[in-house]
Amino acid sequence: MKVKVISRSTEEFTRERSQDLQRVFRNFDPNIRTQEKAVEYVRALNAAKLEKIFARPFVGAMDGHIDAVSCMAKNPNHLKGIFSGSMDGDIRLWDIASRRTVCKFPGHQGAVKGVAASTDGRILVSCGTDCIVRLWNVPSSSVMESNDSSDKSVQVPLEEYVWKNAFWAVDHQWDGDRFATAGAGVHIWNHNKFCFNPVILLCSDKVLLWLSHDNMPLIYRSAPEKTFEWGTDTVISVRFNPGQPNVLATSATDRSIVLYDLRMSSEVTKLIMRTRTNSIAWNPMEPINFTAAYHGSLINQANEDCNCYSYDARKLDEAKCVHKDHVSAVMDIDYSPTGREFVTGSYDRTVRIFPYNGGHSREIYHTKRMQRVFCIKFSCDATYVISGSDDANLRLWKAKASEQLGVLLPREQKRHNYHEALKNRYKHLPEVKRIVRHRHLPKPIFKAAALRRTVMEAVRRKEERRKAHSAPGSVTTKPLRKRRIIKVEE
Amino acid sequence: MAETKRKSRDNPNGKKSKKQKTLATQRDNKRKRRGPRLPSKFRKELDRLNPSGAGRSPSGSDAEERIDSDEGEVYAGNDVYEYEEGVTEEESKKNRRFDQVENLEYEMPEDFEDENVSSDDENEDDNAGEDSSGEEEHGDGRHSRMLQEITGMPGEAFEGKKKKNNNVITEAYPESEYNPSRDVLDGHGQISIEDLLDPLHGTSGYSMLRKRVHQMERKSGPTPTPLPKVERKRLDRKAAYQHSNKDALKWVPLIKRNREAGTIIFDNDVDLGFSTVGAIASEFEPRTEFEKKMASLVYDEKVMDAHKKDGARLLELNEVSVEDERDRQNRIAKMRSLLFRHEMKAKHIKKIKSKTFHRLLKKDRLKAASSENQIDPEAAKELARKHEFERAKERITLRHKSGSKWAKRIKERGLKAQDEGTRAAIAEQQHQHSLLTRKMNSMNDTSSSEESSDGDESDGYSSGEQDRTSRLLEEAKEKTLKVINEEDEVPNSGLLSLPFMVRGMKKRDEAAAEEAKLALEDFESLSKQLDGSSRGENTKVGPSSGRMVFNAAGTQAQKSSKTKSDDRTKADRFYDDSDGENDIEAEDNNDDEDICFHKHEVSFFSPCGSQSFDDIAKDPGPKTTDEVAIFASGAWKKVKAENNRVKGGNNNADKKKSPVALESVSKNEDLQVFHSFTYLLISGTLVKETEKDLGEDSDSDSEGQMVDGILSSGPKASYELPSQAELIHQAFAADNVEDDFEKHKQEILNEENPEPEKPVLLPGWGQWTHVQQKKGLPSWMVKEHDTAKKKREEALKKRKDAQLKHVIISEKLDKRAEKLYTKTLPFPYTSKEVFEQSIRMPIGPEFNPATAVGALNRPEVMKKPGQIIKPIEFEEVDPHKKTEQLKHVGQKQKQKQKQKPKQKQKKNKIVVWRRGCSGRVSVRRVGGNGWSALGLVGRHLGWSVGVREDRSAFWGRSVGVGVEMVGRHWGWSVGVREGRVRVLEGQSAFGMVSRCS
Repeated sequence: MKVKVISRSTEEFTRERSQDLQRVFRNFDPNIRTQEKAVEYVRALNAAKLEKIFARPFVGAMDGHIDAVSCMAKNPNHLKGIFSGSMDGDIRLWDIASRRTVCKFPGHQGAVKGVAASTDGRILVSCGTDCIVRLWNVPSSSVMESNDSSDKSVQVPLEEYVWKNAFWAVDHQWDGDRFATAGAGVHIWNHNKFCFNPVILLCSDKVLLWLSHDNMPLIYRSAPEKTFEWGTDTVISVRFNPGQPNVLATSATDRSIVLYDLRMSSEVTKLIMRTRTNSIAWNPMEPINFTAAYHGSLINQANEDCNCYSYDARKLDEAKCVHKDHVSAVMDIDYSPTGREFVTGSYDRTVRIFPYNGGHSREIYHTKRMQRVFCIKFSCDATYVISGSDDANLRLWKAKASEQLGVLLPREQKRHNYHEALKNRYKHLPEVKRIVRHRHLPKPIFKAAALRRTVMEAVRRKEERRKAHSAPGSVTTKPLRKRRIIKVEE
Repeated sequence: MAETKRKSRDNPNGKKSKKQKTLATQRDNKRKRRGPRLPSKFRKELDRLNPSGAGRSPSGSDAEERIDSDEGEVYAGNDVYEYEEGVTEEESKKNRRFDQVENLEYEMPEDFEDENVSSDDENEDDNAGEDSSGEEEHGDGRHSRMLQEITGMPGEAFEGKKKKNNNVITEAYPESEYNPSRDVLDGHGQISIEDLLDPLHGTSGYSMLRKRVHQMERKSGPTPTPLPKVERKRLDRKAAYQHSNKDALKWVPLIKRNREAGTIIFDNDVDLGFSTVGAIASEFEPRTEFEKKMASLVYDEKVMDAHKKDGARLLELNEVSVEDERDRQNRIAKMRSLLFRHEMKAKHIKKIKSKTFHRLLKKDRLKAASSENQIDPEAAKELARKHEFERAKERITLRHKSGSKWAKRIKERGLKAQDEGTRAAIAEQQHQHSLLTRKMNSMNDTSSSEESSDGDESDGYSSGEQDRTSRLLEEAKEKTLKVINEEDEVPNSGLLSLPFMVRGMKKRDEAAAEEAKLALEDFESLSKQLDGSSRGENTKVGPSSGRMVFNAAGTQAQKSSKTKSDDRTKADRFYDDSDGENDIEAEDNNDDEDICFHKHEVSFFSPCGSQSFDDIAKDPGPKTTDEVAIFASGAWKKVKAENNRVKGGNNNADKKKSPVALESVSKNEDLQVFHSFTYLLISGTLVKETEKDLGEDSDSDSEGQMVDGILSSGPKASYELPSQAELIHQAFAADNVEDDFEKHKQEILNEENPEPEKPVLLPGWGQWTHVQQKKGLPSWMVKEHDTAKKKREEALKKRKDAQLKHVIISEKLDKRAEKLYTKTLPFPYTSKEVFEQSIRMPIGPEFNPATAVGALNRPEVMKKPGQIIKPIEFEEVDPHKKTEQLKHVGQKQKQKQKQKPKQKQKKNKIVVWRRGCSGRVSVRRVGGNGWSALGLVGRHLGWSVGVREDRSAFWGRSVGVGVEMVGRHWGWSVGVREGRVRVLEGQSAFGMVSRCS
């Protein structure tokens, strides 16, 4: 006869250390746990509520500029460093951890329109309305740390390239020596190689004298390695593709986006939209995709295109995804290094975070004192977001509003993961959905959004009616993804 | 005319459109209007500088503009080369307006200030700069070569200004010394290549040149007109677009894989490489003085060199000089002599017999020790240990407890007779003893006293196992009695004083009392048995009989009953009575039978009053079960008889007794009993009822009948069995199922569609009282009620279950359940089933094993704050391969790919490694305390073998800090953190991480 007894071996219950957890044995038979789903639903609900409670995204502001922050660049090699340029020609290097200025780069006369750092983080390129491109040496990270206590150091430019036109933007190639400036055209420069062209006239103090072979003095000056011009309008933004370092995209005031390929040293394609593109960002994890931020006519607020469009660089005749939520022009856009989301700064004084494939934002950040956001960056570890705005401040936000900062114990981490998974699982149920999606908005934005909705709805209704009252097939509605695209030029 | 000539000269192939012509003429017009005059001398000079006939083609101007583009329009006006173009164009104008003039030079200066002629197309060319020059036509190149040959000018003069063959018709060559003759210009005589080659005849390289010319001639058909620049650029872009698209295609599988991966991990790129003992040892850095000294010697350059070489030099380095050796010998000799002397000294001291000397020596030693104690904690500890040892020794030997010969003698003689010194010595000894044993006493005080008391008791009671058991029984009995007596306390206030609580407690107390009594009975029986057995043993000794035994028990029981006489429960009475009965019965039996048998009977029947037969049967106390069987029937009879006997006397006893008896009987597998039950069932009355009847019926006659009936039912087998339906009907006689359902349905209907309230007549409400009295309810109220009623009826009719008689379909919507459903199917899902499946299984740690929880709860993106994430790097991905759950980005990925084939082999089994092989460790996930990702499989001799999530295994032992522990064995702790297997607490600084298959 078999006798059933409860047997427990001491080995299984003996901890190896006093800190170890007691082992718990569970019976996972679902028949004896009939309430598990209900329990998990309640947990999901609580997790959603807790997320709301702990959502404190604003970490701090970095003040020091005396004019609007016009551009920013992150140091790809140093997590704590971020460069910012302002409208008064001031360039600063900030230490995000201590939220202080580490170093200043004085020299620009007009507004600084673009800053970019090389991949190794040693060289900073800046340009502005004073028609000069300046190269700077970035102080090493060790200096940055030791300089914490002392006053801000001041740097002298390594090089100065003078040009004919004002610059609007600059971006540095990933893992290369080239950088591109945008202005009257797109110029590709190489900061390791001097290109000289003979010049006839003296136009600035920065001129080198060379003797030609017949001892005639010739005047040379540094010049871009390559110049692209397609159309006559001003190019306002330029971005290199981090995944494919030889590909870059620009946007111009003629409402166009142009793609270039440096390997073939030619333009690739041009997309013309109804409204102007303010900024472009390439997805660092998907080198064929990029997202563009739009700026519309300012005549009617509701008609303005405040959306972002994600494109596949191969098929520009249709946007992959339209990201809409902003109520005013989107000024800047930056991808998270994970490639799963991007952040936008808008003229409506808010910062939003979108999923790369989602139509609506996951998060909106705003404060009372933050004005028009001109530039926005994701930190290199995808944990923080830095915004620069009209009020001359840089602001540091958490990319995930309720994230717990600091070192997490493994158990804590597991708990967080569990809560996240639960929220994700029950996000479609009405209560959880409501709590997760709810955000308090400033009144103007809330009203503007409502107005936009109304107008859009009216347009839609009108379209519907027109369709209903005309011969079948004579009126067609273009999908939203194609609606704003005028044509693709070759 | 001249124009046409020029045309033919410029473009020997004669391909030119009319449109272009007109364009050119227009431009010329423009130029003429604006052109300033240039002195002919200047112009000549220019021509000299630009001998290729810059004026002839716009390509010349192009080249100039290319340079211009750097400075912009500002300099464009100053460009000297412009004029030539102007000259040529002007000429054409002249052709139209004026007569043809031979002297072209004169007119040229007119266009001096002419603006930039280039068209939009040309502008674009400008951007292209030098790069575009490469794209120029072959024809142009040939032409310039030709010119070069003719003029003998260095190639540089032409290089910058390679012509671009444009559609625009341009002017003729400006006249200069380098230009060919007028005839040629006029088109009378074309210069053939042969003509040009002729003068070169005989020079070096002529034949080669000729050959090439021939080749070209053979091939050359008419050179096509180059496409317009816009067109060319477009084609370029198109090619570039296609190329870049093709290039982008390579990313697609990679992107797809990353998108489809359940989790993408941005990990620290941890590459342990080959970590062997040597590798880890090489990282060792000397820290202490000694280590540094050692290191300086070991890593001495000379030694290292010698090591690197054949090692022969090591011997040289190891050479010992004669002086050194002598020194060493001297040193050793000195040490030896010192040792010897020390030995001798010790011997000498030991030999000294003087006590004072030794005392002094001891004193000194103690002093030194005490002083040492104060300084050195280690010494103090040592001392403490020594003391402890002494104390223990004292406890064992009791040396100081005046047990010695000397002490005894002194005691014998009396202390008073001793002198001062001896007394002091005795006192000292006692003091010593007390000191040494003090701690022991303090520790064992209580236990020893207890023991002693126990001993006393045992002494008092006299030994013997039986006695002890009886004593235990006595005690138990006492305790139970105490429990029973204690029951009465009822709190006067608080929750427990509430009536229902009191009632409940009383009930519980009663139950407890019952139990206690049963226990008491048991004790008694046991004690009796014990007594009996003891008596049985002692029959010879004492004249005690079974009767006596019984009496003893009886008295005891009576005594106990007396003690709780205040308890007026039925059970108590029953207990008393039963006891009495037993008494009587026993008496009867005693009369009839002999003692020996009686003993058995007592043992069985004394508990019979309160216990069932079953219990008796189970009771281990009684001798045999056979006897139980024998007595079962007898008992039954006896019960009956007893009942009959006591019938008139005690009703209470009857009441209780009979059901107990019945029960006890029923539990026996007696055939008769079985019959009785069948009988009971068939007659349609439940056993319970009969019992109830029995309970209610105070008359024991009925019971007697019943028993008779039972007994007699066996033979009455002719009873007719009713049909099935009847049986069912009988069985559910009391249940009106249909009615119940009907009622239930009505209730539900009322709940879901509530009946309208009947209008209530309230005096003065809705109508004047007198009117109310006359007319009753106001009409509107009635009407309202009617409509409400009608509405309800309609609603009831509309219900789905209106026509279904046996069905209730609830139409109530549960609002609370609503929030548990989505209104529409959520976006990525295409079917309801899939969505429901996706949220079916729980994911929590309570509902899943620890190994699965990690995978279930893993977030989509795993990254570490403070970890810079680099953009994607290209890698080959097999698009047809199945995607995995986890995706590592960066170098990690590559590493994983390398391992791929291995992992496939390893699937579902743990690989055993041989110790000593080294390889690469890559543990991907950190196991927390739950070991979700990583389980330790085994340990041996400090080597740990674990399994990773992907079922590949690892083992290892390494050095590290701040690591999560996985396992420990022999002081080696193996942990895993950040993808490393490490040893937490190693015995040595060296470890080894290895993994191989």
